[in-house]
Amino acid sequence: MGKASVIPFGPQHPVLPEPLHLDLVVQDETVVDVLPQIGFVHRGLEKLVETRDYNQFIYVAERICGICAMGHSLGYAETVESLMGVEVPSRAEYLRVIWHELSRIHSHLLWLGLAADAFGFESMFMHCWRLRERILDIFEKTTGGRVILSVVRVGGVNRDIEDSELKVICGVLDGIKAEYGEIMSTLLTDMSVKNRTVGVGALTTEQAIDLSMVGPFARASAVSYDVRSFGRGAYGHLADFQPITDAGGDCYARVKVRCLEVLQSIEIIQELAGKIPAGDIAVKVKGNPDPGARAANVLEQPRGECYYFAQGNGTKHLERMRMRTPTSQNLAGMLEALKGCDLADVNMIILTIDPCISCTER
Amino acid sequence: MGFSTDFKSLDAASVHADAVRRKAEGWRFVQILAVNNEDSADVIYSYMKDGLLDNAVVERLPRGAHLESITDAYLEAFVFENEMHDLFGITFDGLAIDFLGNFYRVSTEVPMTIISPEKLAEQEKQRKLAEKKAKAAAAKAAKASEAAGKAPAEGAPTGASAPSIDAEMEAKLAAMPPEKAARVRAAMEAKAKKATADGEVG
Repeated sequence: MGKASVIPFGPQHPVLPEPLHLDLVVQDETVVDVLPQIGFVHRGLEKLVETRDYNQFIYVAERICGICAMGHSLGYAETVESLMGVEVPSRAEYLRVIWHELSRIHSHLLWLGLAADAFGFESMFMHCWRLRERILDIFEKTTGGRVILSVVRVGGVNRDIEDSELKVICGVLDGIKAEYGEIMSTLLTDMSVKNRTVGVGALTTEQAIDLSMVGPFARASAVSYDVRSFGRGAYGHLADFQPITDAGGDCYARVKVRCLEVLQSIEIIQELAGKIPAGDIAVKVKGNPDPGARAANVLEQPRGECYYFAQGNGTKHLERMRMRTPTSQNLAGMLEALKGCDLADVNMIILTIDPCISCTER
Repeated sequence: MGFSTDFKSLDAASVHADAVRRKAEGWRFVQILAVNNEDSADVIYSYMKDGLLDNAVVERLPRGAHLESITDAYLEAFVFENEMHDLFGITFDGLAIDFLGNFYRVSTEVPMTIISPEKLAEQEKQRKLAEKKAKAAAAKAAKASEAAGKAPAEGAPTGASAPSIDAEMEAKLAAMPPEKAARVRAAMEAKAKKATADGEVG
């Protein structure tokens, strides 16, 4: 074994759009230890809860991250609703899920494009992002925004989607599904992709459970954990779906799980669009959260379970708002997956974990 | 699987033992957070098992206090313990990956413990509102007790009600911004002078 040396990775790196720095301790070409460093984009957004009231803060929450914007506004609103005992109308619940699943598709397609680019498939990168554009077009048509949607509010949603428009959306999703199917099968059967991902950065089910991993990262190690099935804003009772898992535990399994989740999200949206009930889209929320009242909630973001906590103080401002993002939870798993890998595989392992540093630092 | 949340108190000295017990029982670690109080912080440890999101609350932890790290049981907690050290000034002993205060690049030390001017203003407003409410309640009670006792002659001011009206007015003035309160006082004094002058002329 050669002498150990430290190779810095990031914070600016071609495969990472966000600033993550890793000190890789390598012996020959093998990574023997990893030390992460973040903190380059910490914005102190949780502190802003002191200067924005609980209705205004929803617009701060969705700016935590451009990819998970819809999920953060939804998670925040559900937590405040829980704090104040607000029941959301059924139609609003359906609409929230439809937008949230669309944002999962947009997130996974964005990630798939970046992964394809890292594999050297530049045309596949463009195809993935072309399909993603159609999702953004749906956002624009139904909410007026393409990234920051500002459609969720405490007590419901700000906009309705006409039933005729929902049919159009289902048609667009059918088109995406057909084209996406071709991209997915090409990626998952390609020999060069398999050579770079199968058996790389593998974690067992025991390791994934031991490190409390969440999201597709955990599900790719056969951990059947998806809070869409049982959180406060869960929709297991609205749509028929099961968590997608894979026993591989490696980079290939993580690619596969995310690829299949896109198809699952399309099916969920189409199912909900077909049975969305008529009615109001919001209820009026009066008063302020009680002093000392606490509420905690979990929501399945595209990258996994996100924890939200709110505490009231009797005023229109919350005493504390907290978001624990999936990447914070998966950092320990990422370090474990990197240990023992080849130096050349580091970028592939990180990409397939899909860390979101912007969310993590808030 | 259903979903429920629970908040229960936890002694600061039992944090580590609680984590070790939960690990053995198969609880999944979710997160740690702190809530700033005036001179202390509440620390909340969250774990999940079978759809129960259990939040163990260490209440009123003094500023600059030490807690035992749980990273030997749950390595993934290193992110949160380092974060709380940098943002709240809570030190964790035995941290597996310790950034020694360099986890976040913050321009102000322990920024989450600083009570912002906006929050101070909000607290002051709440204090005044509470005072106003208390005074109004006292005035109402005084009125009620007086009404229950001897009924005064029609139109005649009473010794008890006159001060209660003054107290009510004072409470209203206390809740106003100082400039506005001064203007109102000046207007009231002018009105009183005019009434006196009219009486003298009459």
